[in-house]
Amino acid sequence: MTLLSPGREVVVAGVGLHPFGRFRDKDLATLARDAVVAALGDCGVPWKDIQAAWFGHVYYHGMSVGETALAPLGLTGIPIINVENACSSGSTAFWQAYWSIASGLYDLALAFGAEKVPSGPVTVTAADSPDRYIGGDHMMAGYALRAQRYLAETGAPLAALGQVAVKARQNAALNPYAHRKDTYTLEEVLNSRLVADPLTLFQCCPTSEGAAAAVLCARECLGQYRLDGRRAVRVAAAALTSGRYNGKGSDHSAFSPYRTEPAALQAYEMAGLGPEDVDLVQVHDAATIGELQQLEALHLLPVGEAWRASLEGRTALAGDIPCNTDGGLLAMGHPFGATGIRMVHETVTQLRGEAGPRQVPDARAGVAQCSGAGDVTTVIILAK
Amino acid sequence: MGAGPALTPMGSCRKLALPMTQQTRHKVQSVDPRRLKLADPAGTSGVLLGFQCRQCGVQVFGPATYCQSCTSNDLAPVELSQRGILYSFTVVRVPPAGWPGAVPYILGQVELPEGPHVLAEVIDCAPTGLKIGMEMALALTHVQAEGSEVVRVVYKWRPQTPSANFPEGKP
Ligand SMILES: [Zn+2]
Repeated sequence: MTLLSPGREVVVAGVGLHPFGRFRDKDLATLARDAVVAALGDCGVPWKDIQAAWFGHVYYHGMSVGETALAPLGLTGIPIINVENACSSGSTAFWQAYWSIASGLYDLALAFGAEKVPSGPVTVTAADSPDRYIGGDHMMAGYALRAQRYLAETGAPLAALGQVAVKARQNAALNPYAHRKDTYTLEEVLNSRLVADPLTLFQCCPTSEGAAAAVLCARECLGQYRLDGRRAVRVAAAALTSGRYNGKGSDHSAFSPYRTEPAALQAYEMAGLGPEDVDLVQVHDAATIGELQQLEALHLLPVGEAWRASLEGRTALAGDIPCNTDGGLLAMGHPFGATGIRMVHETVTQLRGEAGPRQVPDARAGVAQCSGAGDVTTVIILAK
Repeated sequence: MGAGPALTPMGSCRKLALPMTQQTRHKVQSVDPRRLKLADPAGTSGVLLGFQCRQCGVQVFGPATYCQSCTSNDLAPVELSQRGILYSFTVVRVPPAGWPGAVPYILGQVELPEGPHVLAEVIDCAPTGLKIGMEMALALTHVQAEGSEVVRVVYKWRPQTPSANFPEGKP
């Protein structure tokens, strides 16, 4: 498959975040620009050197918001592309920036994303859709249906789900950018109010605001831009897939987490790495069940077994499969356009050895996985 | 199921059902004519609609122009089964925007014999009466949003066996 043969090596040269949380006095463009300035500063690239930019976001804030966000930095005439791909909008922007460099179109590009998610349950359909009357368009209810089925099939206890949220908060407590930094006990997680059985409030990611950015460069051009190769992290793979018919109809709420598998297999092949080579992983834990099922879909744990790993602490920072090391969606929140690039930020930070108190020792390869409505899946592998 | 506010045993939308005399003064229509065909103007019975691919045999629920499995456009309209198997269910306690029914409500994911999964509210049953794998039957309720002239006929699920509706110790 030609997609698996990039023309040349691409690295992430710089990363930047705007803290995740609620920022009512800041508009979307300002959040996004702050993350971009942080990423440019991280690697010392002047804005005028960037040759193209992709901006991930979902909610409408007027036309061509990416241009609005970047214009104050100077009108340099580069292509700026606005990307909407549901919860994978940020990682899709990254995917596009990656391939634009791998293919030789550009040498130095920017991927960034931001979101201000409104409070309340997230829906996928338009406000006048019949689905609003039918009651099935409810993101967390979709996760709850998967959780009920998973518990019934595996016999996993509720504690296995709850432990995912406990661990997320423990990691977030070590991360100054996290939306939620206070920790919970397992009892507090399981006894928080039910959103959709069996998922309690603390098992669902908060609606948040935030922004993330990454500067990507062709390895062979690092010298030309006077960039520090020692802090550059290689993009070993970037895969993006959409839904494939599974015989169950097209209802978004019924989607299978195992649709991650084709993207994962593509990414492992592209990277020349296998699940056994992965030192840390960021997965789409919009709800606790998501983390368990994505770990299985990525072949990091056998199907139906991730719940045991959760209970045994194997996915914690000190475990053998450290997962969502910055707190994940559960504690960072999930600003759709930013999430995928936030995962890249965390993976790069870990692989550089700059993660401070949440550093995973000797991390050499990390996976970042995002899912979205439309069964959009991205799997990005970064390696030293 | 964890603890939480008790669910009223009767389906939540029942509260919004109108007496027949009043219904006739309103416009009665299917919530989505591409998915639910009403069998009579009053909307007391109906059938789920879909398409079957003449090339590969796959059936889908709702509208289709091309086969989702093989991309053929050689499709035949079909009426789908009135029964299915409960694949999963949840009790939604924080409703999505636009939900016109009572809260909490049970959401059921039912697998039809033809393959597709159909999400809809489960009525006439307490959550404790539900078990993954049990047989479910199609039901229709009439829903009128506040301030709307239109009465929408919405498809729902209910347990096929009435004895499963209210387990021991429940009203
Ligand atoms: Zn076909």
